[in-house]
Amino acid sequence: MRLLTHNTMRNNSKEAKGMGFPFKITAAEVKVIDNPDAGATEERDIDFVKRMLPILEWTALVRAASECGISSLPHTLTTDLAESRPFLQALYHILMNVHLIKGMLTCPVTGREFPVTNGVPNMMLEEDECERVRL
Amino acid sequence: MSRPELTGHASNFYNEREARKYNSSSRMINVQREITLRAIELLLLPPDEASLVLDIGCGSGLSGEVLEEHGHVWVGCDVSRDMLQVAHERMEKSYKMKGDDDKTEAEIARMKYDDDDDSDDDDNNVCSTGDLMHHDMGTGLPFRPATFDACVSISALQWLCYSNSSAQIPKRRLIRFFSSLYSILKKSARAAVLISECATAVGFGGGIVVDYPNSAKAKKHYLVLSCDRVGGRGQVPGMTAAGAVADQKQSQVQVGKQRQEKDGRKARPIRKKKGVKTKEWIVHKKETQRKKGKEVRPDTKYTARRRPRKF
Ligand SMILES: C[S@@+](CC[C@H](N)C(=O)[O-])C[C@H]1O[C@@H](n2cnc3c(N)ncnc32)[C@H](O)[C@@H]1O
Repeated sequence: MRLLTHNTMRNNSKEAKGMGFPFKITAAEVKVIDNPDAGATEERDIDFVKRMLPILEWTALVRAASECGISSLPHTLTTDLAESRPFLQALYHILMNVHLIKGMLTCPVTGREFPVTNGVPNMMLEEDECERVRL
Repeated sequence: MSRPELTGHASNFYNEREARKYNSSSRMINVQREITLRAIELLLLPPDEASLVLDIGCGSGLSGEVLEEHGHVWVGCDVSRDMLQVAHERMEKSYKMKGDDDKTEAEIARMKYDDDDDSDDDDNNVCSTGDLMHHDMGTGLPFRPATFDACVSISALQWLCYSNSSAQIPKRRLIRFFSSLYSILKKSARAAVLISECATAVGFGGGIVVDYPNSAKAKKHYLVLSCDRVGGRGQVPGMTAAGAVADQKQSQVQVGKQRQEKDGRKARPIRKKKGVKTKEWIVHKKETQRKKGKEVRPDTKYTARRRPRKF
């Protein structure tokens, strides 16, 4: 699971009431793919990060990165940084190339745990955990 | 056409054997690829930008692979762990193959499906743009609101129309799915969902695109939903062979009827006894005629009443 994906996820069980975000990461195994062409990141990739910036929850990303052992992210995102090419390249790398392979995701509201194995988080809920839908 | 969704839970059907089989049938691969290409076309994503796309029921990652070729970043959800495992292997393989520049696409494709060795040597730089998640769409999508640029779901939604246990009520699961889908998409995003006309009372605009409407075999229904209710990317890119767009009138969730509709088969006429024209039957027939664009008298309280017998 990428840090980008982690940043978009939330626990949608009825108990979490839409607030089940961000998942706390307990990492047992993290894989960082070193970007062979770092520095030569394509224009398309830079554009992609730029467009992701508004949807990212920055503090959650900083936390998640440090839970995966990466502490290079600044605590606040300034407008200057958001324009800086080297910063965007580094950010792309962190969003796309840091993978949680094995570990646990814990919902901050309910404490429900979702295990990650083989890089795949198990987000399955039981029917009685799901949001009620009135028919 | 076989209907595996009648046989029980998807993760039972898509077990390891089925997952491998699915992944090695070149006919299946081609069909799924073609459908995905069309779905991507229907999404109207800006061609020169990388978008964040959700692939629901991603299976062995065939649809994801097409998304990847178009330069998009995707997240795939599936209930079947075995399908996800195959997807995982495929993603690693396809990345390794990318290094070989002077191979044609066909060659690469063949390599991918032929070689069966286990990719346990996968510790090197794997970098597909996809990411996988084990998840049942009927429980609602586990994402924050307004995060995805688009969503595709290729031949998976039909599974939602059947229940696998007494706790699962299809209608409830469908509504949960669609309302969560509506919330996680960005404004003006689109979802191209193949098959099944059972959409939304949750606020989507959009409708059904039918490709090849006159062929029983090739006919495909795409449910195109858009969050963009004020024009914008409202148009539908070129339909194949004089297609038709039905509008969202059909979009009420009607679980009972889905099966026949999505097959493209004709609905069975509702008739009690041969020759007896009940009110139901007449109203139904009038409705069908109306859909064909014929002029039909409005339904009133006199519709299908018997005339008083003359003496
Ligand atoms: C016909 S396959 C399509 C796979 C893929 N989209 C492709 O193009 O090859 C349908 C997939 O939907 C998945 N599926 C069925 N029910 C599901 C559910 N409730 N939630 C998520 N995925 C589901 C199945 O596990 C299966 O992998």
